[in-house]
Amino acid sequence: MPLLEMRNICKAFSGVYANENINLKVNKGEIHALLGENGAGKTTLVNILFGLYTADSGEILWKGEPAAFHSPKEAIAAGIGMVQQHFSLVRSMTVVDNVILNLQDNQFFLDRPDAERKLADLANLYKLTVNPRARVCDLSVGEQQRVEILKALYRNVELLILDEPTGVLTPQETEQFFHVLRSLKREGYGIIIITHRMSEIMAISDRVTILQGGRQVAELETSKTTPEELSRHMIGRELHVIAPTPRPAGGEENMLSLKGVRLDRPRRGHPLHPIDLCVRKGEIVGIAGVEGNGQKELAEVITGIQKLSGGTVTLDGQDLTRASVRQRYKEGIVYISDDRHNDSLVLGMTITENLVLREYFRPPYSRRSLMNRGIMEQSAREKMEGYQVRASGSSGAATDVKLLSGGNQQKLIVARELTDHAKLVVASQPTRGLDIGATEFVREQLLAQRNKGNSVLLISADLEEILAVSDRIAVLFAGRIVGILERSQATAEKIGLLMGGITEGGAPS
Amino acid sequence: MISKNRRKQAMQEAAAILLLTVAAGTLLILLCGANPLTAFGLFFQGIFRNTSSFAEIFVKGCPLILTGLGCAVAFRTGFFNIGAEGQFYMGAMASTIAALYLPPSLPGALRIFLCLAAGFLAGGLWALIAAVLKAKCNISEIIVTIMLNYIAINFLGYAVRSFLMDPAGNVPQSPKIDEAMQLKSLITSTRFHSGIIIAILFVLAVWFLMEKTTAGYELKAVGLNPRAAACSGISVMKNIILSAFLSGGLAAVAGGIEVLAIQKKLLEGISADCGYTAVLVALVAFNKPSAVLAAALLYAAVQVGAGSMQRQLGVPAAIVNILIGVVVVLILGKDLLRRQRPAAKSGHGEGA
Repeated sequence: MPLLEMRNICKAFSGVYANENINLKVNKGEIHALLGENGAGKTTLVNILFGLYTADSGEILWKGEPAAFHSPKEAIAAGIGMVQQHFSLVRSMTVVDNVILNLQDNQFFLDRPDAERKLADLANLYKLTVNPRARVCDLSVGEQQRVEILKALYRNVELLILDEPTGVLTPQETEQFFHVLRSLKREGYGIIIITHRMSEIMAISDRVTILQGGRQVAELETSKTTPEELSRHMIGRELHVIAPTPRPAGGEENMLSLKGVRLDRPRRGHPLHPIDLCVRKGEIVGIAGVEGNGQKELAEVITGIQKLSGGTVTLDGQDLTRASVRQRYKEGIVYISDDRHNDSLVLGMTITENLVLREYFRPPYSRRSLMNRGIMEQSAREKMEGYQVRASGSSGAATDVKLLSGGNQQKLIVARELTDHAKLVVASQPTRGLDIGATEFVREQLLAQRNKGNSVLLISADLEEILAVSDRIAVLFAGRIVGILERSQATAEKIGLLMGGITEGGAPS
Repeated sequence: MISKNRRKQAMQEAAAILLLTVAAGTLLILLCGANPLTAFGLFFQGIFRNTSSFAEIFVKGCPLILTGLGCAVAFRTGFFNIGAEGQFYMGAMASTIAALYLPPSLPGALRIFLCLAAGFLAGGLWALIAAVLKAKCNISEIIVTIMLNYIAINFLGYAVRSFLMDPAGNVPQSPKIDEAMQLKSLITSTRFHSGIIIAILFVLAVWFLMEKTTAGYELKAVGLNPRAAACSGISVMKNIILSAFLSGGLAAVAGGIEVLAIQKKLLEGISADCGYTAVLVALVAFNKPSAVLAAALLYAAVQVGAGSMQRQLGVPAAIVNILIGVVVVLILGKDLLRRQRPAAKSGHGEGA
């Protein structure tokens, strides 16, 4: 009898299936990997299991008995523990306090010495060494993860769900972490591990379930498969991709060149290890990769939002390594961020005011520090027309941006950023959440930039998008460029392997 | 259509708030054993009896206008300056020192200008302490400005007992300032002084700054979304520092005017807590300069009316402060409700 069985699980969000007839079986002492691209439905599935979502249909059998968990509390009580990608620890509390937080059998007076003893036993058993009296905020990320696992083990779980557990770990920590998983497996725990790193799946898992677009496409035994096969299953749908029209001939000159660009301590997210990358004039370079491998950081060191730790950034022969965001904009680096609401728009301001966010300080929008409303509004009306930005209601350019639909907000950003002086467009997930019409529009604009002799760096987790418009494709994995392919050589399988961290020379550590 | 509906809704809400307030007021007056109608009558009589009583609204409103304006500028930029009280005191002190030590050979108008400028500078720099700590070390400006209030208030107490104490007297207050530097009454037999005109000019200036200049655009952008401002090349730190300086300076000018126009010397307690009331005025006015003017004058009018009620009927003026609390909670609560309704709607379908 399997420890856990999920049968025909379906879950839809606003009419779109996130999970469609998914079956999952996990035995005692088995490590089961869930593999899939962003948005494949992995997290939805485990959230249903953990009681965070309720399935629309389907059933869960826990130790052979039908079960439905309505909250994580119920799931934990039944014996299911989950370590989220973003830890849920109270940073200012000690390790032991975090572990016994909200325990059922806590008395009014806490018995910390007893808890510390139990914790030490568990830690010794599974080599999860961590000082129980240390405060969580003083611990490294690897240690915090151990605390999360201890928290689950302390509650006597039998099944452990780990969501992208190695994304934040150093290679050494990952090695230690795998030791822990193996000893847990020996003790008979069932483990579900969500990951996109194929080398890790090959190294640690017994079986793999592959999801794609909310559907289950394969369930394989790890020992009988290869990374190539996994990659094929993960991406290998019919990609409806028309290769872009080839770039206009000539133009071998570099528009952007990054040499040894490092970012050691990002504000949050992944550090960048030395990155060398060129974008030629009249070229679109796609950056493929699973989100969270340094994409945001790469975009922000190029646009100047984060200061790089080392290396040089050159635009059209000009060294911009030390230049500010505004200087880089003036030189022609424009940015379409993946986070419209936080990075690109001031939601409480009007369309007109958002359209001048980059240039409000210079003519014709202002002279001698005085803003010229009339010209701003006229230019806003022209841009709204030219880029088909539609505001419902009668306020026109005076409409607050927060009232626009996502597609219109994105067109607004495109209208603002693709100025005449733009030379390099850094576009991060520029079509995410847009309907087909808006998506087409944005892609056409990027191609038009290229055909004018400008350059585009297109960062996207959507492989179809990358293949649809890029001339060359670079793959980012764990803060490094692990491969660069010409469009003509790029296949889904090759990119898939690189995205999972498998290069021709083997897995990078 | 939408705006028409919204206006209608706003009217209904205002009427509801007024009704609730009057009802609560009636209840409180009845509990004092007084006749509510007489009390309300005296309340309005106190305000409208004659020019002098009407002018009192402006006299009491003047410091509120300036401190409220200061808070509004800061709040707009996302800098929660609760330190108008302390900045008021620093301004009052700096203006007094300037008034006492400027050479009498200078023309009076120039000396008045220099006094107020010194006050502005002192209050601005005082607020800057909190801004720098926020920008550099990410320390909450709310706590720092509140703590700076205590320092400023008590430093003034120390000053009027030591280096600023009038050598001729025995009371903790400064010597009287020169006649030529006092802000004179503009209307005979009232206390309507020229400082009130200065305050209204500042309202216009702040409106102009916020609505018409690039600096105001930057301040607003930083207040509404500092991250997007930074990503577009606007310096967040520069704007926080600028807004704190302006904010502190405005509150400080209120202090300077209070010294030059009303007290004619420096003494303790001259702010009458207007630095704290300013936070409330700015909140109720949603940080708009013209609304700050209106809210400050309204607040002052209510105080004037309450004073008359207390003097003639023995109904405690504290009732009015209770009612003001009720009004503020209702106004802000209403806004909270209105903001949450659409948010709850768009919450559906997330997490896919």
